[in-house]
Amino acid sequence: MAYSSAQAQEKRRGFLDPRTKLALVLVLAVFVMGGLGGGQLRQIKTVLSALPFLLLLAERQWSRFAKGLAILAIGYGLLLAMPYLPGVLNYIALMCGGILTRFVVTVVMGEYLVATTSVSEFISAMERLHMPQTITIPMSVMFRLFPTIGSEWRSIRRAMAMRGIHLGGVKGGQVLEYQLVPMMTSTVRIGEELSASALTRGLGAPVRRTNICRIGFRAQDFVLLAGCLFVIAVWILELGGVKLW
Amino acid sequence: MVELKNVSFRYGSEEGHEYGENSLSGVSISVREGEFVLLTGPSGCGKTTVLRLINGLIPHFYPGFLEGEVLIDGKAVGSQKLYDTALQVGTVFQNPRSQFYNVDTTGELAFGCENRGLPEQEIYRRIDDTVARLGIEALMDRNIFRLSDGEKQKIACAAVSVAGAGIILLDEPSANLDYEATLALRKLILEWRKEGKTIVAAEHRIAYLWDLIDRAVILRDGKIIRELIGEEKNALTPEALAGMGLRSTIQESPGSVGLPSVLNEDETLTLTDFHFCYPGSKTPVVNLPTLSLAAGEITAITGRNGAGKTSLLNCICGLEKRCNGVLKYRDRTYNRKARQKLCFMVMQDTGNQLFTESVLEEVLISLPKGTENEKEQAAGILRALDLDQYLDRHPQSLSGGQKQRLAIACALASGREIIMLDEPTSGLDHAHMLETAALLKQLKARGITILVVTHDSELIRACCTRQYTIE
Repeated sequence: MAYSSAQAQEKRRGFLDPRTKLALVLVLAVFVMGGLGGGQLRQIKTVLSALPFLLLLAERQWSRFAKGLAILAIGYGLLLAMPYLPGVLNYIALMCGGILTRFVVTVVMGEYLVATTSVSEFISAMERLHMPQTITIPMSVMFRLFPTIGSEWRSIRRAMAMRGIHLGGVKGGQVLEYQLVPMMTSTVRIGEELSASALTRGLGAPVRRTNICRIGFRAQDFVLLAGCLFVIAVWILELGGVKLW
Repeated sequence: MVELKNVSFRYGSEEGHEYGENSLSGVSISVREGEFVLLTGPSGCGKTTVLRLINGLIPHFYPGFLEGEVLIDGKAVGSQKLYDTALQVGTVFQNPRSQFYNVDTTGELAFGCENRGLPEQEIYRRIDDTVARLGIEALMDRNIFRLSDGEKQKIACAAVSVAGAGIILLDEPSANLDYEATLALRKLILEWRKEGKTIVAAEHRIAYLWDLIDRAVILRDGKIIRELIGEEKNALTPEALAGMGLRSTIQESPGSVGLPSVLNEDETLTLTDFHFCYPGSKTPVVNLPTLSLAAGEITAITGRNGAGKTSLLNCICGLEKRCNGVLKYRDRTYNRKARQKLCFMVMQDTGNQLFTESVLEEVLISLPKGTENEKEQAAGILRALDLDQYLDRHPQSLSGGQKQRLAIACALASGREIIMLDEPTSGLDHAHMLETAALLKQLKARGITILVVTHDSELIRACCTRQYTIE
């Protein structure tokens, strides 16, 4: 059967709309990572923390799920072990555990956003939010550059292993400097070539861009967005001194 | 119709500082609608600059000092916006890794049309049409980071097709392609010819399109030295070609050079149990229960794009943790860690394996600890590789060929006995290709075993003594 891009786009549509993912990242960053809100929000935060993991499962991102869970477990492990540790170790465990348990959930949510959103979906979502091109374009280039920087980084690490440059090996102290020299050169070059290519393909034209990807709110989006609003509402009411429970 | 009228150009900064010499001086070219013109000549001859003038990247993206006129259908490219030129001109670039804006292939094909706001249904129709015509169904809805270079270049060409511009520019599109992928590119160009597209290609590897072109324009040092039309281009002798710094016009499959893989009298190095899959994949990229290669020879490793040539080198070098094979060489068995000290690979991106701030320091850190007269040793190696005049230069500022030689200098300094090169001549002109060949022969004379992954039959003919083809 002939290839149909329309059907393929429908099939690869993500579980959530990118805008819902962005809203979730913001809410998690403010309430879980930022720690906004008082006692009332505690239970809600527990539910919120579970959310990115459930979403990763829904999109079948097994290895990201496992990694996030492992780091979270280490964080809680440290907090549990903390009272039994002597002196300085006690503080270190408290600090590391505190940082991990606070940050990991939001980082996992961010990873979910980047991993499950294509550049096209992202641009499309930003446009529907009426973001100006001057913000959308640089952000979408960053989306594209993350995996590139990752693969350059790995390629340089390998080259270093081959040259025998590693921690504790030859000139261990300078490892980072050595890593950064080719990294900067190649990132600048790739960034320049990427921009040149994008410009010859009409990026930045003053017309309303179209997008072939399928995005849009469905039931799951409405449920989660309502959840976000609920969290914010509870917080505002709390500020006004109203206690719901 | 594309016209360059007496164009001179010098790269410079936006503040008006000019640097270097003229990239082009007094060049006039006109390309009729539907014509296929090849721009060729030695590295630095200005062919890429001509393409940048036509697609408007000069002066809009690469500033500099421009004289003369560049016109498309009578309109000056410099005075119209890049996004308007994009409607008329599509470009396929040399580096398949840095010309994609999207991470998924289908999004990439749609990109040009999305930018100009075509309705979704029209974009779907164009994509489906192009996919069917080019036969690339298997490449759709894939992650671009997981494609081979040949596949990436197909996507880049398809993207130009979908955008539908009448003028197509090709900037060394075959530099990273193997023989089969080059033939596929040739078929694509034929398809464009049928559609009546105007094509301007800048290329070193001219063999695959020599019989398709209407005209060849040969540049040297920013000037046109010859234009060849019809019979003239078929009458060129190999000597005349080499005299103009050009590659061969005869398309030859690397497989048909026909060198032996190992001879009975060869001393061998033997690989056992070399298996490798990418994480998350179950299909092995490298799958060699056992393989013998000739020691002390120059072995060409050939095979189509995606056959696992580079992965094989990575495994031999001990860079793939997931590959548990062992290598036997001169009665010793080398496991993965030990191979990291025995082998050295000159990567395609040589810049990524040079870390310091001067050429001399780069070699110094490679010498084993406690070497006596470090500086003299290092200087000696650099002299042997013709790099002694650059001791204080920053490695990242060297040319591609010089970076290659510096990487090899490091390999020699650290006493490696097996040196591997990954496509050392992609994008090199005739003279530089011969320089690389001479360098490999020099290494062989030192008793070093050389494995070179290549699809360049001219390089194989010039220096290789053994050949192994991955099926």
